[in-house]
Amino acid sequence: MSGSVAVVVFPGTNSEDETLRALQAVGLTAELVHWSQPETLPRFDAYVLPGGFAYEDRVRSGAVAAHDEAMRTVIDAAEAGKYVLGICNGAQILAEAGLVPGTGAARRPTAAFAPNASGRFQSVHVYVKLAVAPARVPILAGIEPGAVIPAWASHGDGRLAAPAEELARIASDGHLAFVYADRDGNPVPAPNGAALDCAALTNRVGNVLAIMPHPERDAWTFQHVDGTRESARGDTSAMLAPSGGMRFFAYFAQAVRAGVAA
Amino acid sequence: MTRAFAVTLVIPDNEAFTAYETLARLGVPVADVRRSDIWLFDVEPDAAGSLAAHVREIETVYNPNKHRLVERATAEPEPGEVWVAAREEPPMMEIAGRKLPGVSAIRRRTAWRLFDDTGRALGPTDRDRAVATFLCNPAFQVAIQ
Repeated sequence: MSGSVAVVVFPGTNSEDETLRALQAVGLTAELVHWSQPETLPRFDAYVLPGGFAYEDRVRSGAVAAHDEAMRTVIDAAEAGKYVLGICNGAQILAEAGLVPGTGAARRPTAAFAPNASGRFQSVHVYVKLAVAPARVPILAGIEPGAVIPAWASHGDGRLAAPAEELARIASDGHLAFVYADRDGNPVPAPNGAALDCAALTNRVGNVLAIMPHPERDAWTFQHVDGTRESARGDTSAMLAPSGGMRFFAYFAQAVRAGVAA
Repeated sequence: MTRAFAVTLVIPDNEAFTAYETLARLGVPVADVRRSDIWLFDVEPDAAGSLAAHVREIETVYNPNKHRLVERATAEPEPGEVWVAAREEPPMMEIAGRKLPGVSAIRRRTAWRLFDDTGRALGPTDRDRAVATFLCNPAFQVAIQ
């Protein structure tokens, strides 16, 4: 498996470049593919939907992109076991496309990343903790149990919302992939009021992951907020050293190189 | 008492146009889509008379250069109209940091009107399909007709 990844760009996507850099930094052959080139998508081994405001979040966050022609290939690929990662707006698109939690039909959402409980856009540094057994998320091959990843939560619509019976299913069937935590992995309330303190959802197979916070925005030391960045001041190589978010992409790379999920 | 106001763009509505394009791509036989923001105010009766004037002063709700503001006769969807609302959303007490005199709760809806190529309102079957496939995410929203 060559490890080729399409970073799918919709009109209004704005995090494609930093996502691309993180993917390339872990050795993947990644390239940007615009929504207007859907015919080029099938050849890739995996897909990443980056953050932003696809189609200006018209109607609902992720709703229009979920019905874009480019998503037909992504949905087909997900159903064939290829790896699909959505970050922030990409996560919203995956939820609107019904790929996460994936308990209903394609393009029939059963959950949503709805407006934050605060009613406001929030940008805060967070940590997210793996909330399922590593085997449940083959999209992150080699991740350690309870792994804690630093990231930036930067969204207006990041609150997991679903009917009570669907939330129970998400919790009981291993769809709740990551929850918010502190740097030591202790649970903390979701800053956006998300049900189950959800930071990321996965599907039944674990080849699709929708994560609201941005690990690509804490992929290098200069993006990290604890004392590491301060102590690296004046040392370019230390400042450009990988940060915790890069581990997230390293797990993803390991999965993509290994091939499709079972 | 609840008073309802519809705020509609008088300039091209990009969101409505995108909704039209998406619905057409989904095979819904729609020729035109129109959208309004609906604002519902629970207001004391003696403050209701001045409510419209206060609403007109909130630029984040109503900009006379690009919006038309109409007070509705009822706080229900008009025939052929679908309101989409968050299923569980506590009412707001203020807008843009401003409280309105006599207003105890504020709720927001999005009103959609769909038309066929003869200019008539889309039939209920196609309208329901548009709502179910795109306009409303039942995971956290409800469609009111």
